[in-house]
Order: sequence, then structure tokens, then C-alpha cells
Amino acid sequence: MPANKLEVLHRIFYPRSVAVVGVTGSSDRVGYNLLQSLIYSGFQGKIYPIHPRLESLQGLPVYRSLEEVPGPVDVAVIGVNQFATVDVVEQCGKKGVKGVICVAGGYREMGAEGKALEERLIAVARQYNMEVVGPNTLGLINTRANLNATFYPLRLPRGKVSFVSQSGGVGLTILQKAVDEGLGINKWVGVGNRSTLELSDYLEYLARDDSTAVIGVFVEGTDDARRLVQVAGEVARRKPVVFYKVGRSNAVNFAALTHTGSMAGSYQMYRQILQQFGLLVVESALEMVAACKALAMAPIPRGNGVGVVTHTAGPSIVLLDEVNLRGGVFPSFTESTVDRIKEVLGQNPPVVLKNPLDAAGQGMQATAIGRLVEAVLDDPRIDLLVAIYCLHLNWRCPTSELLAAQEQSGKPVVALYISTQEQVREEREILHSRGIPVYVTPEEAVWGVSALLHYALQRGGISR
Amino acid sequence: MNVAELLAEARAAGRRYLCEDEVKEILGGMGIPATSCRLAHNEEEAVELARELGYPVVLKVRSPLIAHKSDTGGVALNLADSRQVRLAYREIMARATAVDPAAAVTVQPMASPGREMIIGVTTDRQFGPVLMCGLGGVFTEILGDVSFRLIPVNSDVARNMIRSLRGYRLLAGYRGAPPADEEALVNILVKVSELVATYPQIRELDLNPVVVYDRGALVLDARLILAG
Repeated sequence: MPANKLEVLHRIFYPRSVAVVGVTGSSDRVGYNLLQSLIYSGFQGKIYPIHPRLESLQGLPVYRSLEEVPGPVDVAVIGVNQFATVDVVEQCGKKGVKGVICVAGGYREMGAEGKALEERLIAVARQYNMEVVGPNTLGLINTRANLNATFYPLRLPRGKVSFVSQSGGVGLTILQKAVDEGLGINKWVGVGNRSTLELSDYLEYLARDDSTAVIGVFVEGTDDARRLVQVAGEVARRKPVVFYKVGRSNAVNFAALTHTGSMAGSYQMYRQILQQFGLLVVESALEMVAACKALAMAPIPRGNGVGVVTHTAGPSIVLLDEVNLRGGVFPSFTESTVDRIKEVLGQNPPVVLKNPLDAAGQGMQATAIGRLVEAVLDDPRIDLLVAIYCLHLNWRCPTSELLAAQEQSGKPVVALYISTQEQVREEREILHSRGIPVYVTPEEAVWGVSALLHYALQRGGISR
Repeated sequence: MNVAELLAEARAAGRRYLCEDEVKEILGGMGIPATSCRLAHNEEEAVELARELGYPVVLKVRSPLIAHKSDTGGVALNLADSRQVRLAYREIMARATAVDPAAAVTVQPMASPGREMIIGVTTDRQFGPVLMCGLGGVFTEILGDVSFRLIPVNSDVARNMIRSLRGYRLLAGYRGAPPADEEALVNILVKVSELVATYPQIRELDLNPVVVYDRGALVLDARLILAG
């Protein structure tokens, strides 16, 4: 990507001033909400609402045109229809705006006429060296700059995960689920029609963005798929990238002249090529969030050896089963680990001393769990530990024990606290703030653990 | 002719579809092992070529208009003598000339059986050239057990592509069957990748079947389509 494009993208994510074109006084309209999003998210830069007649909106003075805005404008968020958008973009060019966020749809996705209109839009943007986010997009978010340039007013917790989404709706699904999971957001962009900025451009930008540690990508399909996987593969060497690709049903073209031709264009092909470049591919928005959460919170393990401490067999079997299919192994404990476990559970405990370690009744006391977790984490064959605990009204969670054990060993720990989100909120906050992701179902824990193991092996970790 | 000349010649003639004998010449130029494929313009030539190659032989229709040869009765396998060659020649030509008056026949040695694979290249709208491999027959067609990788592909990626097939055990050896020559297959995959990376005008390529033996592998049939 040219350096200039990178600079413009940086300016779009960190604008000093934002103009909103197409604002009205009615909260039914997109324009109103574009303005409200900026105010609601606490944007500290200058906000210039533009309207030909109104005096003030949402407590801010309104300017009659972009020309009348007294200072420079870095970004314009444009909420007018697809035809008027092209004219507004031209005015932005004259004003010296760096990037435009074009919300309206009605371009190439609408056939030949729309395509011609989009080409005009692109030509104008090029003429003034501007970059276009969209068109046909929800907009973009950067919590680091308190910037929400979408028409969905939201307040999001800050964090290290950024998302690039080809769909506004799926992008929102991921955001909302992330918030539910206690996962902080860094940046988010709905790429829309990708007129001048491709998925791969955003990826390259986020790769260089120090505040982003993990990148999630939702993709439907794109013309630059080759560049996308090559760029993503490069980025993934430095920071984990997680892909969610939609479109599993294969519309097979039986008319194709060769057999190979008829097998192409499939989800299978997309998935395998993403994997060829070392990328983690997930199958749902839920898995996306679970995977990003583990990658953002826990360190990448040294290898793929998983240890489990539990007081209930079922969830550990689900974990064993699914993690195994995704490249994880559950090594048996060394003798010295078994000795240490016996110190906790007694010389002839009524449980089988193997991995996963089901301590049954004794595994419900936080202090006992703590000692078992320490012993298992010290085992040289174990690279990552999952602690399973079913929340109870009267019994304490092993939260402080997990924190102490994790700190001592430095190995990643994942907590599976079987519970409602509400019940676990306090424990979760403490654990999340200190690098232990918490899940409430075994399936989500599987996704988190598998994401960590994937990147452990990609980075040349020990394959046990 | 070398590979570039063969492709240029087809292009100059306005042809996008290359016939099996031409494709096999290209494969030969890349060092990809294939059964020999000799063009016979008449019945006498067919008999002569069969004698030269040694029985049993295979006769296949040769026409740019007939891509799916066996679907239209254009393939006769395991012909044991000149009488069978003559009969097959007449039958194939009778059907083929109705479709393409310029149709001819190729004569090829009958290859011994082995484990059948399919190797192909497609130019995907989103990815560009993509290499595919799968186990032949129902594995590919019904179960969709195939691997795709973006070209270029090196030998590590090629090996991974073979080993990620669900039916890989059929190659690796099972129930006492010895392992097939996986490296021979890897070699073909890497060379096909090289071919397409060097000549981007190749839009689609099918090597089907590729037979893998305990030692070595052989392309039995091939077709190639150039970009329009």
C-alpha cells in the first residue's frame, strides 16, 4: 500500500475534525444519528454539522456548507442519498478533506447505473486524493479516539481487538457479542463497496497500528482475494488474524468445461486457501468473538499441550473432543505432577489421576483447585491450562487461585466458569484485567483454546 | 515445439481448447510423466501406432469440440490386437465425425492400474490461479474430498495438500496395501504449479486421472483451456 494511503487511513481513524453532511433535526434520519454517534462516543475533536438552513443541532452550531466551516476538515461523514453524495464528495475535495465516509447505498450493488455512479464517485475522490470508506457502509469506529462515525450511537469498552467487516449487520453482531463477553474494542470498520479502500488496505493499516493486537475479518467475497490472503498471511506473522467467511453452500457450476472448474468458487476453496496462509478460520460470529477474546487476553502458548482441571467430567470431555479435532493434545502428566496431585487429593483418591484431571468433590473447593492448577501448570508437557468450575451460590470461585497460579507460571490459563453472564461478571472483570479469558460454555472455551493453539503452532511452537 | 510455442500456436489458430496430445506434449516439456499419445489420421496409421506402442492399447477421439471423450463413446480401452483396434477406430470415428468432421483418434499404451487421483488448475474469479488435487472418481465427484491451494505451490504445500485429503489413507497404504509414491505426486503438483505460474494464459487444466503407483505416477488423460 502506498505511504500516502496509509497516512490518509490514519487521518480517517484519528481525525482532528469531522464534518457531518446530511444532518437533520429528526432522530428518524440517518444524518441525525451520525451526529449523535460522534457526540455520544465523546469525540474530542471538532464536529461540524452541515445544513443549509438550520442554526444549531444537538447543541452544536450548524454550518451552511463545507466552505463555511472555519477550520480544516479531516473527515466528512456523508448521510445524504447516493446521487447527492457524489456532489458532496466534490465539495469535500475542494475543502481539502482527507477521507469521506459514504453511508448511502445504491451503487455497484444495484447494477449498471449504480456502477456508473460509483465510478463517478471514485473519479472525484481520486481527483482530490481522498479515500472513501464505503459507500454503502455503516461507517467506522475507533475507541482510541472516542470516534464513532456510524449511524449507530454506541459506547464501547476500549480494548485491543479490531474488526474489519464486509457487512454492517454481522459487524454489529460481533461488536455486541464482544461487549457481552467483556471484550474491549479498538477499531471497527464496515468496508461497504470498497471503492478505494479494500479489505487488505485496512488490514495493512491495522497491522501497523500498535494499539491493535488482534484483527477479526468478516468476509463475504472480494475481487482482491489473492492480495487479501497474501497480506493477511503476512500480518498474521506479527499479530493474530481471525477470518469468518460466509457462504458455505456451494453453487456448483455444472456447465464448466473442466472438472476442476466446477469444483471452484466454493467455501471449501476459500477456507483452505486462508489456512494455506496460516490464518485461523472460524465458522460463526460467536466463534469469532471467542477466538479474538483468547488471543487478545492470554499469551500465545509455547506448544499445543493442554491440561484440564475440573470437578465435572462432561465439559472437559467436550473440550477434549473438540480441541483434539483442532490440533490440541492432552498429554499425560509426568510422575512428579502426579505426586503433587496426590499431595492435594490423598494417596488413594477416589478419582483417576489423568489429564483432564477430574477432582470431583474435592475440586469444588477453591483452595484445592488452586493447588491442582499450580501442579498441572508446572508440568513441562503442559503449555496451556483450562480450569473448569460450575458457579455455586455458596462456594467461592477459584479466581484468586487462578490469578496466582497464572502469574507464577506465565503459561496461558483459560477459565471455563459455567454460569450466566450476569452471575460471573465480577469474577470475569478481575480475570480479564489480568490476562485470563473467561467463558461460560465449553464450546466457547474450545474456540478460545483452539485459537491460541493455532497461533502457537503457526509460530513454530512445540507440536506434542 | 517447446511449451511457449505450443501455447502460441493454439492461440494463433484462435483455439482455447488444447487436445490431449498437445497437452501431453506440454506436460512432457515440463517433465511431468504422462502416457504417450500419438495422433492417427486414418485406420492404417492407428494399427501401425498400436504395433509400435505394443498391445494392449487405448484409442481416444481427438477433437477440440469433444471435451468429455468417454461420455460420448470416444474412448476404447484395453484393445488387444489389430482387429480390435480397427473395430474401435471405426466406431469412434463414426460417432465423432457426426460432431466434428475433422475429428481424429489418438493411440496410447494401456497403463496398468494404480490409485487414481485428479489434479487440476482453475482460475478463480477472486483468487486467480488455484491448484486442486483429489482422489479420483467418487471421492472427488460425490464426496468433494479435494484440496485447493493458491498457486504458486512448493513441495511442502503440495505434500500438505495431499495429506489433508480425508481419503489420504488410500494413498498412505491400508489393509496391507503398500504406500503409493506420494513424492511422485508432489512432484507433479509442483510442476503443474510452475507451468501455470510461468504461463498465466492457461486458464484451466485437468489431469484426470493421474495414476499413482508404488513407484512413480503417470498422467493418463489431460485437457487444457486457454484464457479467452
